[in-house]
Amino acid sequence: MQATFKVHRYDPEAGGKPTSQPYTLDLPDDATILDGLFKIRDELDGTLAFRASCNRGFCGECTLRINRGGRLACMTRVATAKNKDGEITVEPARFARVLKDLVYDVDRQLWQKIKAVEPWLQPNGGVQPEHEHIVPDEQLRAVRNAMKCYYCGLCDDGCSVIPFDNTFLGPAALTKAYRFIADPRDHAQAHRLRLVGEPKGMWDCVHCYEADEHCPRGIDPTARIIDIREKAVAMGIKSGATNPQVARHYDSFAASVKKTGWLDEGRLAVETWGMTRLFGLLPVAWRALRRGKLPIPYLHRKRPGAERISEIFKKAERRPS
Amino acid sequence: MPKHSVLIVGAGISGMRAALAAKERGSDVALISKVHPLRTAGGTSQGGVNAAVRDGDSAELHATDTVRGGDYLADQDAVALLTGAARRAVITLDHWGVPFNRDASGRLDARGLSGATRPRACFVDDMTGHAVVQVLHEQVLKAAIPTYDEWMVTKLLVEDGACVGVVALELASGKLEAFTANAVVLATGGCARVYEPTGAAYGVTGDGVALAYRAGAPLTDMEMVQFHPLGIKGSGMILTDALLGLGAHLVNGSGERFALKHAPTLGERAPRDVVARAAEEEIVSGRVEFVALDLRHLNGDDLKLKLPLTSNIIKTQAGVDPAKDTIPVRPVAHRTMGGIRVDSDGATGVAGLYATGGCAATGVHGASGLAGNWLTEALVFGERAGLAAAQQPARSEKGIDAKLTEERNRIAKIMDKPAGSERAGVIRSELGRAMRRHVGPVRDASGLQEAAKKVSELSARYRQAGVTNKGQRYNYELAAFLEVESLLTVGEVTVAAAGFREESRGAHVRQDRPARDDAKWLAHSVASFRLDGPAMAAKPVVITKWKPEGRRY
Repeated sequence: MQATFKVHRYDPEAGGKPTSQPYTLDLPDDATILDGLFKIRDELDGTLAFRASCNRGFCGECTLRINRGGRLACMTRVATAKNKDGEITVEPARFARVLKDLVYDVDRQLWQKIKAVEPWLQPNGGVQPEHEHIVPDEQLRAVRNAMKCYYCGLCDDGCSVIPFDNTFLGPAALTKAYRFIADPRDHAQAHRLRLVGEPKGMWDCVHCYEADEHCPRGIDPTARIIDIREKAVAMGIKSGATNPQVARHYDSFAASVKKTGWLDEGRLAVETWGMTRLFGLLPVAWRALRRGKLPIPYLHRKRPGAERISEIFKKAERRPS
Repeated sequence: MPKHSVLIVGAGISGMRAALAAKERGSDVALISKVHPLRTAGGTSQGGVNAAVRDGDSAELHATDTVRGGDYLADQDAVALLTGAARRAVITLDHWGVPFNRDASGRLDARGLSGATRPRACFVDDMTGHAVVQVLHEQVLKAAIPTYDEWMVTKLLVEDGACVGVVALELASGKLEAFTANAVVLATGGCARVYEPTGAAYGVTGDGVALAYRAGAPLTDMEMVQFHPLGIKGSGMILTDALLGLGAHLVNGSGERFALKHAPTLGERAPRDVVARAAEEEIVSGRVEFVALDLRHLNGDDLKLKLPLTSNIIKTQAGVDPAKDTIPVRPVAHRTMGGIRVDSDGATGVAGLYATGGCAATGVHGASGLAGNWLTEALVFGERAGLAAAQQPARSEKGIDAKLTEERNRIAKIMDKPAGSERAGVIRSELGRAMRRHVGPVRDASGLQEAAKKVSELSARYRQAGVTNKGQRYNYELAAFLEVESLLTVGEVTVAAAGFREESRGAHVRQDRPARDDAKWLAHSVASFRLDGPAMAAKPVVITKWKPEGRRY
């Protein structure tokens, strides 16, 4: 089987611009993209840099963009990836800094962010040293599901926030935080929820669900972020120490819907930011006004059926969380 | 020049376990590794970690199965140590956060793996190693143990017969740096990449084995290579043998369950060496490429629940719907029982040099390691090696600068040499295929002679080879070039050891010597480095209470 690999080549220290270099290869029918990359390096071009380790889809090391989609090179067959002209594009992850060719800065993109969530079990010491924790298996299933993660970073690669703010912790690190928050053997839940509740943490997620679309392991990182947000609210930890507006936003949102049946955006802005901070938002208001998105005068009326919505709230509040 | 009390080479399961133990002793310990810890090879271990945690099981039964599985080549004192410490090793992992599957009462569950008479493998779905690697790395972060990621060790620094550090190549920059330490622990993994195809990770090239051997530490049982019966098509991916534990069948072209001919009672659940050899014989006698793995009689939902990752691999990589069709499989090189000969504390015989995990031979696996014992070994002996290394005294650092310069010159020479027409990658492939053909699950004297000839031809060609990539940054061609040197050393010793052992035992099957010979060969092969090739010797196996008897499964 013949295929042409169009491979991203770039050496930032040598200067110049990234190029796409074509290599035409003869490969066995069952070859993977990784087999092809090794053939290039072994036989055609020793200067090509790429990472690989387990060759079994377990370690995440050979995560690349193949035909513009995030994939593991070792788990992607050449025969299915090539287009009708026999071509395949091979590139590094989208937002990470390229170090050379297909090697990119995973440390800054992923490892440092994961480190920031205190990724180790913090047990309460109540367990007997000679025995395992006695825990129902159902409770550990969620932990195992999150630990299927092989740190490919594709959730971060698909994330809608990271392209605008690469200091956002991102779905991979937040899933790592979830792994401990969901673990019945961990006893630092409140501390962890405050930690990831700080700015650049879970409240910066815009729940676009791209992470779930991109995760090759079916972990659904967005759903996990929502799980820990709900846990935080249920425990009364609606924000970190430095972003109290998150909790105010949460409470104001709920209060206005409860009272009027729908969201009172004016009240939300005032209650979230306070009058002083609100002045800072005047340019935004001005632009909204010019585009006809801010009705003047601003009047917020009760929706028809608001009483019934209010009833729902009361019922929910009576139910133990 | 970075300086630590203990330097661990390799940040996989055994290396991280050793580092945590040394740290617990208060030692200034660091890890240095070719790949990031979370990308290391132990993460592919699926089946489980063996420990007698269930009612009706005991360390004694675990030891009996291990000794028998190893065809009586295991050192029984080491086996007793392993099985005696296994339970505590698993409990420690649970306390650190490994989410082991639980039974209905919330206690540790265990599954049956091949060669075990009881369900004994504590497991995390079908990603046990993956979970263990993550949790050990979590603890390494917690303990703030420094890790030098993507540094490849190219040389051991030995002064006056003692190891005082290493020289390593930073892949990112291409610079060579000396690291000094009171003790160096090699935890570089096995050597199965000397075969092609193999289920082993790309980095499993026997670097530590070759480094220690050339530094004067003897290697042992290098002829003992475990072939995994469930290699699927392609470049060597394997399926977990937990499938066989769940009742999967292996059948030949006429639909016969051939494993029953070799193991009438356990059939496919016999140890890997028995099943792999049975499959190899079918493949050779039937002149076919594969035998068939049949899952069609198993409950598909159950399979998906218990082995979710495996179900996915079958679908996407074997391209088979296991409810409708069989999966073509063949034996591929998986683990190496042999390695650097160590005592129960990981000491190699070279002062200050320790070894653990895949690169070390503690003697617990004998002639065939049981599924699930590999992780236990890495944890139990990794901890012991870390503790022992932490107690080493400081040594003189005289002469290190000269040795670093010498190593820089050696690498510069490789870089400066015209590349010529030989490529190290091609040599690696030829070596791997020759090893599979002549030193596979079934061997004989004439094949081994062929193999010896091929290895020396390839070594000669290697000396002519160079690298085409003259760049400094991320020069993986240079790294691979250095790995091929390790592989050639491993190949040479493996072939010599396979010729030396004139009997069949466990994973070592000689067609020309088909019987086990307890009178002569209750002994380990030991290979010592000589300039003209390995010097082979035999060392008696330690036998305490399990008297050798026939192995019937």
